[in-house]
Amino acid sequence: MRTRVVIAAALLAIAAALVLAARPHEATADERVDRITTELRCPVCQGLSVKDSPSETARQMRDLVAERVREGKTDAEIGAEFRAAYGDWVLLSPPITSWSGLVWLAPLAVVGAGFILASARIRGGTPARDAEPTAAQLAALRERVAREEAAEG
Amino acid sequence: MSAGDLGAAALRAALFLSLWGTGAAAYAAWRRDTRALVSARIAAGVGFGLIVVAALSMMFALATHDFSILYIAENNARETPLFYSIIGLWAALEGSILLWTAILAGATAYVAFRGTAAIPRLATTALAVMFGMLTFFLLLITTPAADPFVRLAFAPDNGNGPNPLLQNHPLMALHPPLLYLGYVLTSVPFAYAIASLIIGEGGDRWLVATRRFALVSWALLGVGIVAGAWWSYAVLGWGGYWAWDPVENAAIMPWLTSTAYLHSVMVEEKRRLLRTWNLALVVATFALTILGTFLTRSGVVNSVHSFTQSAIGPLLLGYLVAILVLSMGLLLWRSGRLRDAGAVGAPLSREAIFLFQNVIFMAAMLTVLLGTLYPLIAEAISGAQLSIGGPYFDRVEIPLALALLFLMGVGPQLPWHGASRATLERQFTAPLVSAAIGALAAIATGTTGVAAVLTYALASFVVATVVQEFARGVRARRALHAEGALIAFANLFRRNGRRYGGYVVHLGIVLVALAIATSQARTVDAEKTLAPGETLEIAGYTVRLDTLRAVREPQRDSVVADLEISGNGGSAQLHPALVQYPNSASAVGSPGIGAGVRDDLYTILAAYDQKALSWATIRMRVIPLVSWLWLGGAVVGFGAVIAALPAPRRRAVRQIPVAQAPAPAK
Amino acid sequence: MILSRALRIAIVVAMLGLVVTLALAFRRDPHDIRTGTVGKPAPAFTAERLDGTGTLSLSDYTGKVVVVNFFASWCLPCAQENPALVHVYERYRGSDVVMLGVVYQESRDSARSYVKRMGMSWPAIADDDGRVALSYGVFGPPETFFIGPDGVIAGRHIGPIDETKLIAGIEALRREATR
Repeated sequence: MRTRVVIAAALLAIAAALVLAARPHEATADERVDRITTELRCPVCQGLSVKDSPSETARQMRDLVAERVREGKTDAEIGAEFRAAYGDWVLLSPPITSWSGLVWLAPLAVVGAGFILASARIRGGTPARDAEPTAAQLAALRERVAREEAAEG
Repeated sequence: MSAGDLGAAALRAALFLSLWGTGAAAYAAWRRDTRALVSARIAAGVGFGLIVVAALSMMFALATHDFSILYIAENNARETPLFYSIIGLWAALEGSILLWTAILAGATAYVAFRGTAAIPRLATTALAVMFGMLTFFLLLITTPAADPFVRLAFAPDNGNGPNPLLQNHPLMALHPPLLYLGYVLTSVPFAYAIASLIIGEGGDRWLVATRRFALVSWALLGVGIVAGAWWSYAVLGWGGYWAWDPVENAAIMPWLTSTAYLHSVMVEEKRRLLRTWNLALVVATFALTILGTFLTRSGVVNSVHSFTQSAIGPLLLGYLVAILVLSMGLLLWRSGRLRDAGAVGAPLSREAIFLFQNVIFMAAMLTVLLGTLYPLIAEAISGAQLSIGGPYFDRVEIPLALALLFLMGVGPQLPWHGASRATLERQFTAPLVSAAIGALAAIATGTTGVAAVLTYALASFVVATVVQEFARGVRARRALHAEGALIAFANLFRRNGRRYGGYVVHLGIVLVALAIATSQARTVDAEKTLAPGETLEIAGYTVRLDTLRAVREPQRDSVVADLEISGNGGSAQLHPALVQYPNSASAVGSPGIGAGVRDDLYTILAAYDQKALSWATIRMRVIPLVSWLWLGGAVVGFGAVIAALPAPRRRAVRQIPVAQAPAPAK
Repeated sequence: MILSRALRIAIVVAMLGLVVTLALAFRRDPHDIRTGTVGKPAPAFTAERLDGTGTLSLSDYTGKVVVVNFFASWCLPCAQENPALVHVYERYRGSDVVMLGVVYQESRDSARSYVKRMGMSWPAIADDDGRVALSYGVFGPPETFFIGPDGVIAGRHIGPIDETKLIAGIEALRREATR
């Protein structure tokens, strides 16, 4: 009984910690710039984000993003400005609202399908031959041993 | 005869021997002919020797700057230091394929001698498969597709030198060979699996015979990937270690399926289940290594590794298709014989957890595959050009990784066949408390973000389960054998290396998870243009630019910034640079890294005053716990070694005769 | 586990799809990125002239055919294409065709000496913070944009351009204008 209390308390503590971790906080200007530049692709590098790239082009883009953030533009507007110039290619992940947004569903679909298949395998199929004997089987065996011992005298 | 001629001749002779070996091994397996097997063995041994000679000839020609060979003219120069000349063997496509072939020949020779001695018919069939694959690769390097010994009509005075990124750091000696060893050694379990399907035996012998190979190839692949991440961090100079570049993805996909395989193998050994699934996993792992090579070398994707493009692409694609057709055909044909000895009974059993873990590994691999190929698919269908990069992969893979971390703690704690409620309480109370402490400690130290806090909680959870297991094991040994605590601890590894080595691997993974979570969540950086004497402040550190100077070396010119960093109780001198190689269009950044147990100080020279060296733009990143990534990789490798070592021979245990079953009553 | 028929077919189809995708991938060049601004109104800009004689705006040239060329002195192909630009400039001098140069990621001093050295007599503007290049979606010099009299970007050339392509682009826009 005590262990169940301890387990419940531990789970509660973890849940509380996660809720605290998840509370939204107003992003600072720097954090907004970081967030936006993480999603933009540096045009002159091999797949690096504008945030990570040390190139001159990326630095100019970071300055531009910082200025737009100061002007009060939203993330979507800033992204749209770069999309207008460089095309969808400059976004490092497809927007959810486009056709390509379906790639976000793919992992969920695979995990879901996998779990369904796996669960089917766990419930179904012939019972394992090497499972432990059930209580009824044990009782029958004991009875048989007793009978044979009695028969041998 | 020059080294180049010797190498080329050796390769052609090896090709002939490989063709012979394929036929001899196939015949020996079919007709159980010992003489054919002996001739196949000789072909394997001599062939391996010849290919090694070819590789050494190439290294010699590189060291002596023989520019009459095209490969050397393109990848070497007189100024290239000896070390980088020799490892130039794998600086570009043709040499890399030669290295791959050499390793494959070594594996073939191993199967020919050790393998066939143990299980004649199965191993001989596998040998035929290995020879077939070796023949393909030898064809690649003896034809214009990837021949490293092609000669130039007349030799230039000096070569182009290796790509600048490949002569910047000694890690170049480690990362490709480790990775190739990991890749190529997956072909041995594959060959055995195919052989098992061909000769139609439904048992597990192929799996048991190749268990150690699978573990070793997994470990080498994993350590090779970590070495690649370290190279990316130390050489590419952007301050990160993983960019979800197509070539990085190509390496991690077979590692994911290989990890799944290592676990589901245990289910087959223990309970004789998942037979078809294990065969499919081995095929998938091997096919993914070929796909990976294809993506890296064919030039169809734009990536860090797109150093060369060549006609080898269609050939590798054809090889991949052949493998898939052969494997799928055999699997579908023989699936009737592969019955499982029962079913997974209970949802809370070790085998069920392994099953769920396999599902998640497959999902992780498939999403990496989809993300890497999706831009190609989209462009082929609609002509649209789009990118799938870090943000997508991070968002998708992190939840999967957290689920795996959780299962990693749960799985080893559950018994086979199922757990009772009492077992659950006994096994999980302490780890859950540990997880709670981890979560609360994370919040207390100011961690934000569900993923980070969850990582710390799960890391504590897993560590507690491992400590619990070791404690129980030591206690049991002390009770049974009256050993002292330390000896008992050491004997846990000796007697049951697979299990306890596995726990060490899990601890290594925990270190990697902590490193990734912390470095992603808490890296800070700042950038400023400084004149000598000026400073930049970040995260409690003060960075002062002392001097900015030009350095001339025979093979390159550099501009180096001397930085003095102080703060948080320590100091360091770092020297980030921008390096210009003569035949390169732009300068290559060389970061100055001060590694530490807690923080890494990562400095980049982003730009400088080209006229008078009067200012420099310095970028500084403080990256916490990234050193734990390399440490975690080493721990994983170490744990794998423990698990792979053979157990000492058991002392004879007094046999208690099994009671005869009573005669049935009439 | 006996593979059910549906699962088998699904796996075979997936493999087929994978192989076909990879085979199709050979047709494209991963370095060829078609993006953004072609067919859209040319982004407006106002920038300082390199020779210090004041500022210049794109709107000054509405109704004319404008060729905008991004260049830098550290860019080898830019030096290679320069003679072609000079010839074409001479040919259309005084007409309704305007040529503009934009400095790309370079200090004004070294750009000025490059302009003088290469005999570039058409207006060149400075773009210190790179905003003009970014708004046009420039990947790297040299890049040349063809803007019609209606202010729409009609075409864009990445890499060094030759005389034939320059003239072809310009003439196409002049024909559009007179229609």
